[in-house]
Amino acid sequence: MASQKQTQTQTDTQAVALRSLARRYTAQTPRRLRVIDAYMAFCVAVGVVQFVYCAAAGSFPYNAFLAGFGSAVACFVFAANLRMKTDPQNRQQFPGSSAEGAFGEFVFCHVVLHFVVANFLG
Amino acid sequence: MKPWTCLALACALLGSTNAKSASGDRVLVLVPKVESAKHYSKFLGSLETRGFEVSIRAASNTSVALQIDGERAFDHAVLLAPAAKKFGDGLGPLDFTRFVDDGGNMVVAASSELSDFHRKLAAQFGVVFEPRSTWAIDHANYMKQNNASDHKVVAASNFAPAPAILSPGFAGTLAKNQQKPAVYFKGIAHKYDVANPQLVPLLTGAITTYSGKDKGEKPIENANAPLNGKSLGLVSVFQTRSNARVAFAGSTAMFSDALLSKRGGDNQRFVEDVAKWTMQEKSVLRETGHRHHLSETGEQPSHYRVSNEIVYEIDLSVYRDDAWHPYVADDVQFEAIMLDPYIRTTLNRTDSTLSASETATYHGDIKLPDRYGTFTFRVNYKRTGYSNVDVKDTVAIWPLRHDGYPRFLSAAYPYYTGSFVMVIGFLALCAVWLFSDEPENTEKAAAAASKEKSKAKNKAKNKSS
Repeated sequence: MASQKQTQTQTDTQAVALRSLARRYTAQTPRRLRVIDAYMAFCVAVGVVQFVYCAAAGSFPYNAFLAGFGSAVACFVFAANLRMKTDPQNRQQFPGSSAEGAFGEFVFCHVVLHFVVANFLG
Repeated sequence: MKPWTCLALACALLGSTNAKSASGDRVLVLVPKVESAKHYSKFLGSLETRGFEVSIRAASNTSVALQIDGERAFDHAVLLAPAAKKFGDGLGPLDFTRFVDDGGNMVVAASSELSDFHRKLAAQFGVVFEPRSTWAIDHANYMKQNNASDHKVVAASNFAPAPAILSPGFAGTLAKNQQKPAVYFKGIAHKYDVANPQLVPLLTGAITTYSGKDKGEKPIENANAPLNGKSLGLVSVFQTRSNARVAFAGSTAMFSDALLSKRGGDNQRFVEDVAKWTMQEKSVLRETGHRHHLSETGEQPSHYRVSNEIVYEIDLSVYRDDAWHPYVADDVQFEAIMLDPYIRTTLNRTDSTLSASETATYHGDIKLPDRYGTFTFRVNYKRTGYSNVDVKDTVAIWPLRHDGYPRFLSAAYPYYTGSFVMVIGFLALCAVWLFSDEPENTEKAAAAASKEKSKAKNKAKNKSS
C-alpha cells in the first residue's frame, strides 16, 4: 500500500515536473531556438528512419546509406552548433561571435555538406 | 616426268596409305630373335594391314637406335623380348622412358622370365612385376579347350570400365545370352599403383586368380596371401601428361598366334584394342580452337570488367578410324581461376550446322565473378583413356570505371529521399530564421530567462536560510 502510494506521488511529481518544464520551455526559450530544436528532432527522425530501413533491407547501396544517414547526423550537429552559439545564455562563452556570424557558418557548412552528400550518394 | 611431279605423286601415295595412327606410322618391334617374330605373325600382320611401317629387330641387334640425331626414329615401340637384359647398343630403361617423354608410344610385353631391364622400366610407370618364374594362376578360370588343363593360362575377364580404350563388348553391361568375354593370359602378374590416375589397370585378376610358382593343381601351402584378385594386374595402360601411351602386358603369349586364334577367347579383339589405343589410333582428343567474347557485342576485348556476361567456346575433336570426328560428351567443364576456381561450369554442346564437321563446339554463357584481377580461363579435360586437353587463357578482369557503376537503385530510394529531405529542412530552417523572428524578442526572452534564473536562485536561498 505504502509503496503504491509512493509511486503514485512519484508519478505525480514527475508529471508536475514535466508540465512545468514544458511551460518554462515555451515561455522562456526564444522562438529561434525552438525552431532549431524542432529541426534537430526532425534530423533525428530522418536518421532513425534510414537506419531502420538499412537494418531491415540490408546495406546494399552502402554508400547511399552512409550519405543519407550521414547527412542527417551532420545536419543535427550543425544545428546543435548553431543553437549553442545563438543561445543568449551562452553569450559569455562566445564573446567574439554574433548570431549572424554563427548563422553564416551554419549555411556555409550546409552547402559543403550537401555537395559532399550528393557526390557520395552514387 | 619431272622429278618434282614424281615426288608429289609419291607423297600423295604415301598419304593415302598413311597409318591410322594420329601420331605416326613407324613401329619398332623388338623380339628375342628375328625368327621368333613368326609367333606373332597375326598381331604384326594386323599392324601392317592397318598401315603401319613395321620394323622387326632382334633385341641384340646393335644397330637399333630409338633416336637419330636427337629425333625419334620410331613413333611406336613394341617390346616382345621380356628376357632381354638390354636392347640395341646398350639402350637402357631410361632411353625408353626418354622415348616416351618425346611422345613415343610403347607396348611392353612381359613373361615369367622377366629381365631387370623390364622391371626398372615398368617401375617408372608404377607397375611392379612379380618375382621371376612366378605365374598368374587361376584354378577356376582357365583355358578349357582341347582337354588343356594348364591353369597358368588364365581366362581373365575382369575388365576395367574404360570405354575409351576397350571396345563395347568388354566394357559395360552384357546383353542377355551373351557370353562373358575372356582373354587368355599366360604370364606374370604385376602390382599397379592404385593412387596414380594416369595408370589404368585394364585387365585384372578374378577373385580366384593369384600369383605364385607353378605347382600343378596343388593348393597353396604358404599362408601368406599372395597377390590376388583385383589388385593383381594382368594388363595395365599408362598415359603420360604429354599424351604418350604405354601398355604393360604380363604375357607375351597373349599376343602370339597360338592364343590369338584360340576359340572361346577374345584375345584378337582385346589385343587389337590395346594396340590401337596405345598407338594413338583411337580416343585421341584434341582442341582445335577456343574463343571467348562479350555476349553483348560479340567482340573479344583486351580486358573484361567485373560481372561481364561472356561466351566461352571450345572445339573438340576425337580421332578414331583414321579420321577426326566431333567429340561428344556432356562433362566438358570451364573454370575461371584466380588461385581458386571462382567459376566451374559445364559447357553445352552447340548443335553443329555442318553435318560433316569434324569438331564439336562446346559453349557456355558465363557471368564473370564480381572480382577483379588476373584470371585464368581453363578447360582441363582429363578422362580415363582419352588424351588430356588442358587449355588456358590468361585474362584480365578490371573493376568498373568510376562512372560505370549502376545508378538510381530502387533499394537506395529512402536514402535519396532522406538526403533531399535534409536539404529541404535546411532551407526551411533558413527561411524561418531569416524572416520570422526579431532579435529584440530574443533579447527580451533572454532577459526574462535571466530574471527567472535569479528568481529561482533567490528562492533557493530563501529556502536554505
